[in-house]
Amino acid sequence: MTNKLSRRGFLHLAGAAGGSTAVFRAAVALGILPAVAHASRPQLASLKKPKKVLILGAGISGLTAAYELFRKGYDVQVLEASFRAGGRNMTVRHGDRIDETGFPQVCNFDKDPDLFFNCGPARIPGHHKELLNYCQELDVELAPFINDNRNAWVQDDAMFGGKPIRAREYLNDSRGFVAELMAKSLKKEDLTGPMTAEDWEKLREYLRQFGELDPQFRYIGTSRSGLAAHDYTHPDQIKKPLSPSELLKSRFMQIMSFGETDDQAAMMMEPVGGMDRIVTGFMRKVGHLVQLESQVQKINVGNRGVEVTYRHNGQYVKAKADYVLNCIPMHLLAGIEHNFPKEYAAGFTSIPRGKLFKIGLQMKERFWEREGIYGGISWTLQDIQQIWYPAHGIHRKKGVVLAAYTFDPNAGEKFARLSPAERIKLAVAQGSKIHPDYGNYVETGVTVAWHQMNHMLGCAAQWDEQLYKRWFKTLQTPVGSHYLMGDQVSYHPGWQEGAIASAHFAIADIDARERAGGAVAA
Amino acid sequence: MKRQTTIGAAIAKIIALALVVGSATAGNDFDYCLLCHGANANGNYGIRAPKLSGMEPWYLARQLENFASGARGAPAEDAPGHEMGPVGLRLKQEGAIDAAVQFIGKLDSKRPAPTVSGDVAHGKQLYQNCASCHGARGEGNAALQSPALAARSDWYLATQLVNYRNGLRGVDERDTYGAQMRALVATLPNDKDIIDVVAYINTLK
Repeated sequence: MTNKLSRRGFLHLAGAAGGSTAVFRAAVALGILPAVAHASRPQLASLKKPKKVLILGAGISGLTAAYELFRKGYDVQVLEASFRAGGRNMTVRHGDRIDETGFPQVCNFDKDPDLFFNCGPARIPGHHKELLNYCQELDVELAPFINDNRNAWVQDDAMFGGKPIRAREYLNDSRGFVAELMAKSLKKEDLTGPMTAEDWEKLREYLRQFGELDPQFRYIGTSRSGLAAHDYTHPDQIKKPLSPSELLKSRFMQIMSFGETDDQAAMMMEPVGGMDRIVTGFMRKVGHLVQLESQVQKINVGNRGVEVTYRHNGQYVKAKADYVLNCIPMHLLAGIEHNFPKEYAAGFTSIPRGKLFKIGLQMKERFWEREGIYGGISWTLQDIQQIWYPAHGIHRKKGVVLAAYTFDPNAGEKFARLSPAERIKLAVAQGSKIHPDYGNYVETGVTVAWHQMNHMLGCAAQWDEQLYKRWFKTLQTPVGSHYLMGDQVSYHPGWQEGAIASAHFAIADIDARERAGGAVAA
Repeated sequence: MKRQTTIGAAIAKIIALALVVGSATAGNDFDYCLLCHGANANGNYGIRAPKLSGMEPWYLARQLENFASGARGAPAEDAPGHEMGPVGLRLKQEGAIDAAVQFIGKLDSKRPAPTVSGDVAHGKQLYQNCASCHGARGEGNAALQSPALAARSDWYLATQLVNYRNGLRGVDERDTYGAQMRALVATLPNDKDIIDVVAYINTLK
């Protein structure tokens, strides 16, 4: 092992220590710029002879396909198992039903346009072009969503005795500490290969800027971490840096780059009034094609199309189509009767289902705004993981706070085992470590355990590299004229853009078959 | 006019309430069973929901009662059993256990594809302890309140045997039949025994 640093090695190191922003900035400093590319919406040919398409599921992928196919003359029918359309794009407001197995709930938020909760997707990044195009086309008004707020809190029982600190203090003191360490250890003679002495100067200057180091490359504190007081009748008073060893006690150091990942950003977007405005937009166009409360029981792929049996009003009903676009979650598809090839069906039980969990609480006062927090997320390593503050309705009396959003399946299961009231109690106890009077503001709440939500029983499919290699192509390739869809059949599960990508893939394939003369045979 | 609107709103509210309450006992509400337990409740290995169709009505009813009372499924480690707790409770509170059992009874029961394979000959020896209650062909015995074992979800049989052994089932004093099974599972001391006996049960018709 050599101590010499190559360009690539440095980028890797900078990434590990400072998050991808550090890598990006370093890449810019070194003259390397990333390229961005994305697929675009297929332009379908108008149909020459009538074709029937049956879409199983009225979530984002199903609605996208219905919208595109219907306007090109396809005879489209959408079967949705639930009492509502949207799939995991779900917003609850006053009076809405939360259809959880065993624990059905009703949302008791006040009737107010700002008091809603996005139970599934809640933010849209600027590069999700396809979704944004649909928002524009469907007249879905968007507003800024504040995702990253340096004034929000970071809390971990492992550091500072569990006392929360401001995100800006945590991030900038960590950066200062890492920058000083690197600047001190980076020796000109250690640089190799394409790096030159000139690079060494650039790197040191970059580190100084990155951590706001003093002329001697020491970190002695920065206004970036927030002033001790904001009394502008007095000179600025810089806070003393937090103890690096105390900061290192927290695992948070390893996840503090969350906001830097490709799908995240400080500012994102949300539809005004709730994420399900997108569903409403699609339903305005294709709602008449959607039949609710129709649960599929059997799928039979034949040489000339597909036959589907579903239950509606307690009766078995049969439907035939030239094409079937199937958005049913794979783990539920495994329990449906079918005649798929064994290899295809084996995939259904091979991808674990997500167990993400969310809580939304109506707060009688927007107390967080008095703490200087306007939107954004506080992070904790407790089960609840996050507290989100609404960016809409600023300075109004009440607001709905996201009081838990867990990624860890164990935390999701822990909450799901409790009754809704007990879940809220646990979330309030944990949130009180961030906001001491938290519980006093809670009026009512909703809890959403996605792996217990009816007609879903899971969140995003939990793919990994191995699973993609083994199963993705098998599941993405149609069987006869049966296509599997949804974010589950994308390289972007858990995002609406992934759902749309899967729909575009399937309809582009159908389009190609129809252009070639409508060959439906397997 | 204003008064009319208020009355209209009140009626809408009553209808909305009726819809919410009504949906809990509506004719197709038991379709929810099929969501987890699969088409015709023949089971869904994908989410580890066992086959219910073909189960004896008295056995189904007793298990729903046990889930409702917490006599089964209370330990958090038994995640699927725990999930059935609130379901059983709701059915009990709505007096719908019998109707649910009837619904399952009308479904088209199919023998599930085997997922467990093991030493069938060894399993056959071990099964002799099971046969006295569950029958030589795994057909069950209503007089002893012993359910049939043949043509069930095999992975589920194995899971339940492990649950009995690990004290996740049959430990509540209200679950007397479960307590019997917990005692008898001592005849299957290791995982291989459980796999083998289930592999043998897979051969029973």
